[in-house]
Amino acid sequence: MSIIIENVNKHFSGFHALQDVNLTIPTGELVALLGPSGCGKTSLLRIIAGLEQPDSGSIRFNGEDTTRRHVRERGVGFVFQPYALFHHMTVFDNVAFGLTVRPRAERPSRGEIADRVHDLLKLVQLEFVADRYPSQLSGGQRQRIALARALAVEPKVLLLDEPFGALDANVRKDLRRWLRRLHDEIHVTSVFVTHDQEEAMEVSSRVVVMSKGRVEQVGTPDEVYGAPATEFVSRFLGSVNLFKGRIHDGWAHIGDVRAPLPHDADTQAGAAVAHLRPHEVSIADSPEGAIAAGCVRGILSIGPMVRIEIERDGEENGLVEVEMVRERYLRSPLALGQKVFIKPRNLRVFASGAG
Amino acid sequence: MNTTTSPTLNEPAWFRRLLIGAGLAFLGLFLALPLAAVLTEALRQGVGAYLVALQEPVALAAIKLTLIAAGIAVPLNLIFGVTAAWAIAKFEFRGKSLLITLIDLPFSVSPVIAGLIYVLIFGAQGWFGQYLFENDIKVIFAVPGIVLATVFVTFPFVARELIPVMEEQGTAEEEAALTLGASGWQTFWRVTLPNIKWGLLYGVILCNARAMGEFGAVSVVSGHIRGETNTLPLHVEILYNEYNFVAAFACASLLALLALVTLAAKSFVEWRGQAQRALAPIALPAVQPST
Repeated sequence: MSIIIENVNKHFSGFHALQDVNLTIPTGELVALLGPSGCGKTSLLRIIAGLEQPDSGSIRFNGEDTTRRHVRERGVGFVFQPYALFHHMTVFDNVAFGLTVRPRAERPSRGEIADRVHDLLKLVQLEFVADRYPSQLSGGQRQRIALARALAVEPKVLLLDEPFGALDANVRKDLRRWLRRLHDEIHVTSVFVTHDQEEAMEVSSRVVVMSKGRVEQVGTPDEVYGAPATEFVSRFLGSVNLFKGRIHDGWAHIGDVRAPLPHDADTQAGAAVAHLRPHEVSIADSPEGAIAAGCVRGILSIGPMVRIEIERDGEENGLVEVEMVRERYLRSPLALGQKVFIKPRNLRVFASGAG
Repeated sequence: MNTTTSPTLNEPAWFRRLLIGAGLAFLGLFLALPLAAVLTEALRQGVGAYLVALQEPVALAAIKLTLIAAGIAVPLNLIFGVTAAWAIAKFEFRGKSLLITLIDLPFSVSPVIAGLIYVLIFGAQGWFGQYLFENDIKVIFAVPGIVLATVFVTFPFVARELIPVMEEQGTAEEEAALTLGASGWQTFWRVTLPNIKWGLLYGVILCNARAMGEFGAVSVVSGHIRGETNTLPLHVEILYNEYNFVAAFACASLLALLALVTLAAKSFVEWRGQAQRALAPIALPAVQPST
């Protein structure tokens, strides 16, 4: 089931939470809505589910307009952030709920329901907790039961709100991998909300980066990281060092470097800013092709990586972070206070103030 | 609970004893002593006289009327309380705070005024007095007036008890039920109601106690017609004013008994409710849809 979101707007008491959002989610994909808190990602998810109504715009499932259709009839499975398991029911009854509330004519027999629930519990690897109450489960188990409950009604779309949000780091890592595998198995069109870029990259086949109620970029994890469309995307997907420069003759000039402008940028003279990730920096001792100069202020050995902090000449708080693997660092070690030049291996330029 | 007594955290022993003693003395003077007085006075002339006093036709009529008034007021408040709490806790709408204020109104108005309101509306000189008289409908100085006054004074009990419970639970479970295909009715019976049942029962118990014990508002609209419009508390007053102490205290002992039963039921419900809440997952802050 494909989902098409067209020109969706949503206000919450004067706050413009979603601004002209357009998005297409192809059938069978596992898509992440990624953005900082307050960017509108959860609102968008709830609008897809029908738990909120957009002020304008439409939602279409497989081409069919579902904007005004009741949640109950949309056929979405929704996994809530605090799981929202029915805590007065056993795990079995929780998972069976969606089947037992069906009208008598459509309701499967008792035996069929039991079979289906046990199949689902097997799918989420939790058959042994069927008779327990939600309060007797760990966070990760609750999350998987919430997922089994949502899948029981055979949803055409699976929506997950911060599915790993409340779990500790190890459980989170396992569950991410598990969700990825589960999706490969059942192939239901899935959308999940997260504020964690690593999670979005690791789990989804497509990432939608959002900011302030707008979609900033849609692409594969590789695309959004490697070719961020806006300054916001570049900053949000990992740490960056910022370098200021000028646009002149259709090129951006930063330090000794001349870099091509992004094709949609204004080529008129103006300010530009270049983003350089810590692992994209080379340290040199000659000024040719350098973007900045500075001296080494800190050298931190962090497991397999070494992080070097360089203070830029003539700039206050102009600390540049450089990361390289330990082996490479050991080939040309640095000393504190040493004068160095910073050379980019991969530079992304944005017209200043954009994004 | 941590019950170890650390000298660095506690007040000196004499001070603690003084506080506890003051509390107990207060309790004894204002609760235990009157209760004992009621029972001794009621049984002063033996169990026989006590039972005879309770079997008087007017006493039985008062008991019956009290049960009727409570029997109508409590279910009405149950329905009203659940719907109002549901609306207030689960939905956002204009005039919500006004509704909350209105629900609290009977707490802030003197019961006598409450009774008087009904006299002014339905009484012979009231707004609808003429109409009611012409159609031979009796409200004031009759059973309907007593029921109305009882409903008014017990109005907030169920709703007040449920609003915080429902607000704390948020709407996530209801939303989950809806996405799973449940209708509004199924969601209410299978998800909302089981979650609030102890709070609801607690509210009903308090509401019932108040409905049976109400004096002021009922006194204004009742007219004190013996055997017809006297509820138990009013009956007690009449007997007492007639110096019929044994009968007065016998009837009062029934109300005292009701209070004790209410207290026991209330403690039981509190205990069960807490046990259930301990089983429930830690309440997470409600998720705002604005992220």
